[in-house]
Amino acid sequence: MLSIFKSIPTHMDYKGQKLAEQIFQGIILFSAVIGFIYGLIIQQFGWTVYIVLGGFTVACVLTLPPWPMYRKTPLSWQPALPETSGETSQKPQESLKKKKHK
Amino acid sequence: MNTVLSRANSLFAFSLSVMAALTFGCFITTAFKDRRVPVSKVMLKNVDDFTGPRERSDLGFITFDLSADLQPIFDWNVKQLFLYLSAEYATKSNALNQVVLWDKIVLRGENPKLNLRDMKSKYFFFDDGNGLRANKNITLTLSWNVVGILPLVVGSGQVSLPFPDMYETTKSY
Repeated sequence: MLSIFKSIPTHMDYKGQKLAEQIFQGIILFSAVIGFIYGLIIQQFGWTVYIVLGGFTVACVLTLPPWPMYRKTPLSWQPALPETSGETSQKPQESLKKKKHK
Repeated sequence: MNTVLSRANSLFAFSLSVMAALTFGCFITTAFKDRRVPVSKVMLKNVDDFTGPRERSDLGFITFDLSADLQPIFDWNVKQLFLYLSAEYATKSNALNQVVLWDKIVLRGENPKLNLRDMKSKYFFFDDGNGLRANKNITLTLSWNVVGILPLVVGSGQVSLPFPDMYETTKSY
């Protein structure tokens, strides 16, 4: 059963992950400010919670599934070298590590 | 953030932190308010007095009327109010006595205007000794504790109406 879920691709590239994080933080903070002000006006904290929960669902829908906008800058992998010895296959590993730490 | 689960994890954790900050903000906006309640009257109807079963201490009976408008206390931080009516007096043996006679919990959403008539006390008004007899000055105090949405008591207040007691005599059986 789990193999069905694992086979759905959910990856985003790095710029897309950053964009997704900014989007959900922005949405939740925005709904928190709106909810706080509205709850302060009508003096009921329940509405603040409802508005933040609404912001949470909107953020879920926008950032959890891997929309195409998060896949616009994919990584350009090095072409695979033939596996002749252990040392030649280290090079793509190192260039890979350099890209990750950016 | 590469999988749905890690994105969902950071989203959920961020939302919880934001909710905690909002709750604290709600607490901060109302914590230092001075809460007052207009209590129009707490009146003593009749008081009997007889000595109790054990050490022959005085036992008082009180029925009272109470009307109060609690609406100004209820703001968005208040979950419930705990009201209690206590009697304060001084006797020869003790300088200060405080006895809780009656209490009530008022939840948010219930009618905040109280108009109680002929209420009997919930708890026995025992005195430590025989100080109630001929006590000229017993003060009935209505106090309240405010329970807010954060699990801390936000505030308390009280209104106090003095009522000189009648001259009481003990009845012996």
